[in-house]
Parts: sequence; structure tokens; C-alpha cells
Amino acid sequence: MNVGLNQLVVASAALFAVGAFALVARRSAIVMLLGTQFMFAAGAIAFVAFGTFGLGARTFGAGAAVALFAGTTAVAELAVGLTMAALIYREHRSFAVDADRE
Amino acid sequence: MPLIGALPQPVTSAPLVILLYVVLTLMIVSALTSVLVRDTLWAIGAFSSSMVLIAVLYLTIAPFLLFAVQLLVFTTVSAALLIGLLRRTTGLGRSTQGPLRRDWIVGAAVVAALLALLVVVLATTSWPIGLIGNAGPGVGEALGTKYVVGLAVLVVILASAALGSGLMLAAPTLPSLRGGGPTRGSGPRR
Repeated sequence: MNVGLNQLVVASAALFAVGAFALVARRSAIVMLLGTQFMFAAGAIAFVAFGTFGLGARTFGAGAAVALFAGTTAVAELAVGLTMAALIYREHRSFAVDADRE
Repeated sequence: MPLIGALPQPVTSAPLVILLYVVLTLMIVSALTSVLVRDTLWAIGAFSSSMVLIAVLYLTIAPFLLFAVQLLVFTTVSAALLIGLLRRTTGLGRSTQGPLRRDWIVGAAVVAALLALLVVVLATTSWPIGLIGNAGPGVGEALGTKYVVGLAVLVVILASAALGSGLMLAAPTLPSLRGGGPTRGSGPRR
């Protein structure tokens, strides 16, 4: 039994699927933002996995650097998204993104 | 360009493999929990725990810098932003659950089991010294030399996000046409 590139990529894909599910199936702006965070994290895990066990290991630190960039971008996106969620709540007293249609 | 040399081998040390499988499984489960639960506070808690588990995963397979940044910056900032949003909107009510409820005990048992597994791994392997020792010191240097443009772009993105968030929250908002809208703002109705 071992853990290598395959296992990490499968876990990354599963995490991405969870994020995509949240984005598609949930109406709450907060949960949708959490879904995007999971999708960012899944991409970062895949980069780290390829940078550790795949061909990216030949370029030292590349996977970790891309993961750092992805994580920082995700935090910035979360800040803007949460601000928009706060504005939605201020307008509709709800976090539902389709509250405008009701 | 021909490939030279062999790729790094997968992790085969039994305690470390078990820890990795446990971490990966818990990460997926907590992510699913945060997506499926109705209570926003619970969703944020599960989200934070999955971020911490990702940090533990990075501790195992990536340079230490990434683990530290993931744990101290990404997880903390994300949780703080989410809690801050809740405080500004729906509020954070006092918990109605006592500390000795069954679900709290189950959660504490899971955490204790994970910590025990971590202790076993630390005691029986050279982890994290063995893995981190040969992959650690160069990432900061690479960020400052090879990826300096990307780093500068990140700074611009972060500054723009902070500025935009602040402006959006501080700007006066228009009254809702359906009533029950914002209470702030003094601009003319458009």
C-alpha cells in the first residue's frame, strides 16, 4: 500500500467535485463561496501532487509556488465574494442568490 | 527533450500511508459536510477543518512553507472573513448545546484518534524531518527570484481585493424598491 500521484489526484478530483456540487446545487451565497474555495484547494493539491511525485518534481518548488499563488487568489476572491454576499443580505435579508426572483 | 532520472517514489511507510489516507478521507468528508449542512456556522466550522486537513496534507508532501501559509494565513483569514460576515449579518447567537452532548463527545473522540495516529507516525518514522529536509529551503528563494513577477501580481490582486471590499462595504446603498432594504445611504433615488 502506498500513496502517490494517483491517490492525490483522485482526492483532488473528489474535492473539486464537492466544490462544483456546492456551486451548482446550493442557493446560499456563502455555501457557493465555500464551494469555490474547495475548487481552488483541489487545484492547488493537484499542483502540489504533480510537483512532488510527477514531472514537476524536476522543477524544484514549482508546485508549491503555484499552490501559494492559487491560495492567495482564493482568499482575495473570498473577500470580494463575501462582501457581495453582505450586500445581498443587506438588500434581501437572505443569502440566497436568487432571492431577487421571489 | 529527453527525460533524465527517475521520478520520486510514492510514500510507502505504513504509518504515513495510513495517516495520509485518513487525512484525505476526512478532508473529503468535512468538505461534503460543509456543503450539505443547513447551519452556516457548522458549514464554516467544517470548511475550516477541511482547510486544516489540507495543511496537514501539505506538511506530508510539500515544503514546510506551504503548510505554514495554508494553516496560518489561508485557513485563519478565510475563517475570520466568514465569521466577520456572520457577525455583520445574521449575528452569532450563543450555542444552545452543552459541552457534554453526544455529538461533541464523538467529535472529540475523532480528534483524539487523529492526534494519536499523528503521535504514532511521529514516533515510528522520521516524518516530517525526512520529507521536509530534502524539499524545504528553496521555495522562498524560488519565490523571490523565479516567480517574483507572480508575487508582485499577487500583491496587486490582494490590494485590489482589500480595497474593493472596503469600498463596497463603506459605500452608501440605495433603498430597495420592494421595501425592507438597507437602512444606510443618503443619495438620491435613481
